[in-house]
Amino acid sequence: MPNTPFRHKLMRMVLLTSGLVILFTCAMFVTYEVVTFKQSVAQQLNILGKAIAQNSTAALAFDNADDARVVLSAFRSDPHIVSAALYSKSGELFASYPDRVAREDLPGTLQPEGYHFERQHVIGFEPVRLNDMVLGTLFVKSDLRAIDQRFRGYGLITALVIALAVLLAYFVGRKQQTEISRPLLELAETARAVSDKHDYSVRARSSGAQEISQLTEAFNHMLAQIQQSEIRSRAQMQRLSLLQHITGAIGDRQDLPSIFQVVLRNVEENLPVDFACVCLYDAATATLTVSTLGASSQRLAAAVGLTTDSTVPIDENGLSTCIRGRLVYEPDTHKIPFAFPQRFATNGLCSLVFAPLQVEASVFGAFVAARRAPEAFSSGDCEFLMQLSGHVALASHQARLNGALRQAYDDLRQSQHAVMQQERLRALGQMASGIAHDINNAISPISLYTDSLLEREPNLTDKGRAALTVIQHAIDGVADTVARMREFYRQREPEMTLALVDLNVVARAIIELTRAKWFDLPQQRGVSIELRSELSSTLPGIMGAEGEIRDALTNLIFNAVDAMPEGGVLTVRTLARPGPGETELVAVEVIDTGIGMDEETRRRCLEPFFTTKGERGTGLGLAMVYGMIQRHSAEFDIESAVGRGTTMRVTFPAYTQPLIAAARATDVHAPMRRLRVLLIDDDPIIIKALEDALVGEGHVTVAANGGQTGLEIFATAHATAHPFDLVVTDLGMPSVDGRRVAEGIKSRSPRTPVIMLTGWGSRMIAEKEIPAHVDRVLGKPPKLNELRTTIRELLA
Amino acid sequence: MPWRERGGGANIKLKLNAARVVLVVAGLLASAGVTAAPTEYQVKAVFLFNFSRFVEWPAAAFASADAPFVVGVFGHDPFGSDLDEVVKGKSVNGRPLVVRRLRRAADGAGCQILFIHQSEQRHLSEVLSALERHSTLTVSDIPGAAQRGVMIRLVTEGGRVRMRVNVESARAAALVISSNLLRAAEIVVGGE
Repeated sequence: MPNTPFRHKLMRMVLLTSGLVILFTCAMFVTYEVVTFKQSVAQQLNILGKAIAQNSTAALAFDNADDARVVLSAFRSDPHIVSAALYSKSGELFASYPDRVAREDLPGTLQPEGYHFERQHVIGFEPVRLNDMVLGTLFVKSDLRAIDQRFRGYGLITALVIALAVLLAYFVGRKQQTEISRPLLELAETARAVSDKHDYSVRARSSGAQEISQLTEAFNHMLAQIQQSEIRSRAQMQRLSLLQHITGAIGDRQDLPSIFQVVLRNVEENLPVDFACVCLYDAATATLTVSTLGASSQRLAAAVGLTTDSTVPIDENGLSTCIRGRLVYEPDTHKIPFAFPQRFATNGLCSLVFAPLQVEASVFGAFVAARRAPEAFSSGDCEFLMQLSGHVALASHQARLNGALRQAYDDLRQSQHAVMQQERLRALGQMASGIAHDINNAISPISLYTDSLLEREPNLTDKGRAALTVIQHAIDGVADTVARMREFYRQREPEMTLALVDLNVVARAIIELTRAKWFDLPQQRGVSIELRSELSSTLPGIMGAEGEIRDALTNLIFNAVDAMPEGGVLTVRTLARPGPGETELVAVEVIDTGIGMDEETRRRCLEPFFTTKGERGTGLGLAMVYGMIQRHSAEFDIESAVGRGTTMRVTFPAYTQPLIAAARATDVHAPMRRLRVLLIDDDPIIIKALEDALVGEGHVTVAANGGQTGLEIFATAHATAHPFDLVVTDLGMPSVDGRRVAEGIKSRSPRTPVIMLTGWGSRMIAEKEIPAHVDRVLGKPPKLNELRTTIRELLA
Repeated sequence: MPWRERGGGANIKLKLNAARVVLVVAGLLASAGVTAAPTEYQVKAVFLFNFSRFVEWPAAAFASADAPFVVGVFGHDPFGSDLDEVVKGKSVNGRPLVVRRLRRAADGAGCQILFIHQSEQRHLSEVLSALERHSTLTVSDIPGAAQRGVMIRLVTEGGRVRMRVNVESARAAALVISSNLLRAAEIVVGGE
């Protein structure tokens, strides 16, 4: 019966227990009584029998049956004696009680002395003795109705006792139970009230027995605990929701100040605190710099001395612990002897918390929160601030990462743009290279003939000679232009071949070459740029790669012009000045009066792909200049101010050693033995020009208009007594090209020199790509002088 | 084996005891003279013997500590050998029972029980006075004997022997008669 009320169970238990105890006691008692009563009945009968027997001695001894009957009649006093009889010594019935006794009430035979139970009777035989003489036997028979009666009595008493005991137990138990169950029911009632209303402030009334009051106390204690933990968990929930709110808010923001601002505002309003700020940590100076102040903390911040951008040195106070990544809580700033907490204390901020802003074990700042009351931050508050600072740190870190990512993305886009630009340039370069090759081929005869005419025709008129000289210079100019054009296509830095360079010459040449840029184009736009050329008359030479220096100077002039969209003065200046020690420095300056550069631009202007010209610039110009400067161990100075123009200065170390060059050219015109030369080229005009030039030198030439033909002619001649002394072949030919020609020649006659002419020639030389089996490569157009010198070197 | 020997001995002893009991019972029955039809004096002989059981004699009644318990018959002896049969081998308080037939009244003083036969009716007073100050239980079947001072008179009524006891006489002789006996007897007062 699990639903039976507790008190009913208790009552049933009490009643059952007391009933059972009484019943058991009675049963034991009755059993004992039954056993002892039977014994006592037998004993009483025994005593009675003995007495009667004693009294019967005379009757038997003197054969007086009447007396015997009188004696036996004494049994009348016991109503349970059914029958009694005296037997003589010989076993004959002497007297009986009652007088007329029923036959079945007498024993069939006499039995030895003793008493025993037989069915519903006790039967006893008692010898009648006189001294040691047996006179006869007394027989007694008693019924057991006495026992029955007694049992009935006992049953009645037992029933009565049980009834009384149970009744008593019931009343006593009910009284006791009320004492126990009432406080229990009250407790249950209180518990129900608590669970129904969620009101944990209710307390149970303490009453009743010690155990019950202990229970009540325990219950009340439990309620107090629940109430406390409920308050705690409610506060925890509020903090959690605040944390969620804040993290949600900072998740929407990408920049640090905005993140800090929203965190501070929320903490100030909702935690709340009286003062909050975020400081950033600078490990180099070991200081905290106030980054952001809470909106409501401004006034207090001024008082404490923590205005924005103010710094706090980290010493061995609480801040150093915070910087090591642990939350620091000062429950009472008055008790902290350090200066920084004392600043808070004097302004009435007694509780102070520093929470580290930490990403992956590195602390980059601290979250500072303070309240006026001492010991105002619970462990939950501290935990909250720790978690919050973790979130803020993560968000800040993310914001930084985001910034870096954006920067990287921008750089990547610029790189992509630059690469595309470069690809375009490369295509243009390839095209230009092809054009250059063709032009070189085309002007080769002009160059050769002009050289030949000027050298070998003594009868030329002055006017004709002058005209030819102009042509020669023009051809040189074309060749130079084509060579520069090819530079577009140059992908790798060439092996720098240093030569003595006169910066004045270079400067002059570049000024002329860039005239279109600084004079014609601005003039078209109606803008005037005045060029001032201030070249030092006593300028030492430098060792350098003229091409690179020319390119760099061109770039600088272009930049200067671009910096003066409204016109101005462009000054190109060369000067010499003493360097450290005995050395001398040579500088070239390009000065404009243009818009100038701000600090940022000035700092970044050397970076590859950095440009201020938008789509028009590649961002590689100054980078190229800088590359040249580094290779030449030169120095680069930029002086610029916004609106005041820019001065770009490249300073080279001067070359002061005596010149040894050009000595070789002395015996160029010395006579040379006649050579048999095989000329192989698919261009008949070049063949013709070369033949004329070499024949003019006194050599014998044989021409072949293709690689295959050339090899056959060489083989044929090689078998005769007049093999060729020299082979001059073009590189690019259909079917069998110059490389295979050289290979064929060398396989037949390894000692015969092979000179290769090519429109790509100078590039091959620069890149040290002289093909196998070729002794020398000459670029087109070939200079007569160059050709002559080469032959001389190969066959001297 | 000791226990077996001992056990065997015990068994033998028990058998002997049982045999002795049987012999005693047979002897008693025989000595009591309870046979098919006892004669009047056979019954009276048993009565005489039985008196030794129901009466207490003072120590002074005996001449010495080992003096026998003497049942005397004065006058004609009606018992023959029956009385001798009854008391044969019996003893009272360690004293052997002996029967003496007396010729002179004075000899009665040496007896503890003295049966006075009817033949001595005339000498009754003489006998009784001779026994004065002697603790001798006087028994007689002389009519009116009890009234005359005999302590127990045996009366035959309806074929049964009955007793009439003069308690005063007995008390005078310092004899204590068992109440059992008195209940079975008729009490008479002397001197009437």
